[in-house]
Amino acid sequence: MSKQIEMGAGAVDTPRAPWRAIFLALAGIAVVFGLYRVYQHQTAFTFGLDYFSDDFQKYWMTVLYVELTVIPLLGAAIVGYLWKTRDRHLDQLKPVDELGRYMKLVGMLLLFVTVFYLTGSIYAESDAAWHQVTVRDTDFTPTHIGLFYFAVPTLIVLGVSSFMYARTRLPQFAERVSLPFAIAVAGPIMIMPNLGFNEWGHTFFYAEELFAAPIHWGFVLLGWAVFAAAGLLVQVLTRIIALTKQMNDDAAAAVQPVLRQDQAVAKAA
Amino acid sequence: MAISASATQAEKDAHRINVQFDTLIIPLVVLVFAAVFSFHFALLVGDWDYWIDWRDRRWWPLVTPLAITVIPAVFGYFLWERLRLPLAATLSFLALGVAAWISRYLNFHLFANFPMNMVWPSTFIGLGLIIDCVLLLTRSWFWTGLFGAFAVGLLIYPLNWPLLAPFQVPVEIHGTMLTVADLMGFEYVRTAIPEYVRIIEESTLRTFGEAVTPLTAVFAGFLNIMNYWLWVWVGYLAAKAIWLRRIV
Repeated sequence: MSKQIEMGAGAVDTPRAPWRAIFLALAGIAVVFGLYRVYQHQTAFTFGLDYFSDDFQKYWMTVLYVELTVIPLLGAAIVGYLWKTRDRHLDQLKPVDELGRYMKLVGMLLLFVTVFYLTGSIYAESDAAWHQVTVRDTDFTPTHIGLFYFAVPTLIVLGVSSFMYARTRLPQFAERVSLPFAIAVAGPIMIMPNLGFNEWGHTFFYAEELFAAPIHWGFVLLGWAVFAAAGLLVQVLTRIIALTKQMNDDAAAAVQPVLRQDQAVAKAA
Repeated sequence: MAISASATQAEKDAHRINVQFDTLIIPLVVLVFAAVFSFHFALLVGDWDYWIDWRDRRWWPLVTPLAITVIPAVFGYFLWERLRLPLAATLSFLALGVAAWISRYLNFHLFANFPMNMVWPSTFIGLGLIIDCVLLLTRSWFWTGLFGAFAVGLLIYPLNWPLLAPFQVPVEIHGTMLTVADLMGFEYVRTAIPEYVRIIEESTLRTFGEAVTPLTAVFAGFLNIMNYWLWVWVGYLAAKAIWLRRIV
């Protein structure tokens, strides 16, 4: 992932972001979320109106069971892999490699916020639109199955994976815990307990579907966890600046002996 | 020659690295704006902006500025104090606008079959330009709150008036006078209607707008000044690079 640049007699690496992997992952997210959306569009109002019907069990509960199985397993596999392949010699990491890892981390965060956009805007508001035209019969509606058991868990997997990547591969994040990063990742995780409260309230004391209702404000608070992205970016950018400077200093130091040799040859001539 | 060549090469390397990070971080920031603003707006303003008949004279011009000022204030601190970019308000309103148009079309129009005429999103970009320009000119959070955030509360209704006006025209149905927007609302009954009627019909002064709207706008402007300052302080906290030795 790094490109060697010839500098006189010395050779210095410059890191390169994993563009191919990032674009492939973005395309994968677009395809999976897009196909899910098409499925929802085709089947929500035809087979998703009555939880107690056979069609609902076939078309929607099957999807729920697959989501509840596949996404946690996938998340556990990714996090397990990141932990198992962790760098045990972070003290020997060269600046150029660390910069390359920061590029990967920022790429992972880009995937995280892409899914956050899809979740917070398109999937959340499909639920808003759904509830305006139907009265819920249980906690499991087609849009809930998409939002809370597909989109939010995927967001959690991406957030925890990014956090784990930083913890296992970047010295700064391995030595200490980044509070902004922890907050930004904890917000989506805490949406799940808040969902429990939301469903409990909707079946107990608030049946009407005013989207800006106080019962939903817990979700807003957890969405605000992403405000901590500002602190995380400060941490990441500060380190990138320091590493770039160090890399330039190292390059200059590598060239100095060659320059001195050239000057000596020129003087002798 | 050799020294300047190596310096040039080092600059090129640094530039190559910076361009890569910029290419990753700029879309990341825009997507954060679109995501967090959409979510925040949906759950705090939501219905007041989803439906043409909810954009009333009293709650919509009050709830909306208080909610939309939060993101520009929080991320405004980060972008201005750390990167010297007076862009947070305009960029975040633009991101919200694009995300809202996509969502209203996909979700409310295609999925739930409401006409776009009933669910188009309001525009706020002009208000973002005001906040950012005041910040750029005054370089002060105090004055930006006093003038910029006040303007957001004050101008939300006039900014959207050209879009709203056709829906505020009175019509008579079965001997009762109501607006075109209300008529559309009655034609497209939604589950939130009983709650809406309870909220909006608690009133002694029955009007189509008139004096109530500018009074609401001024009240919203005053509240929004303090609202902006509060959220700039939250932005100051959010932009802190805090490291912990351990969480538990």
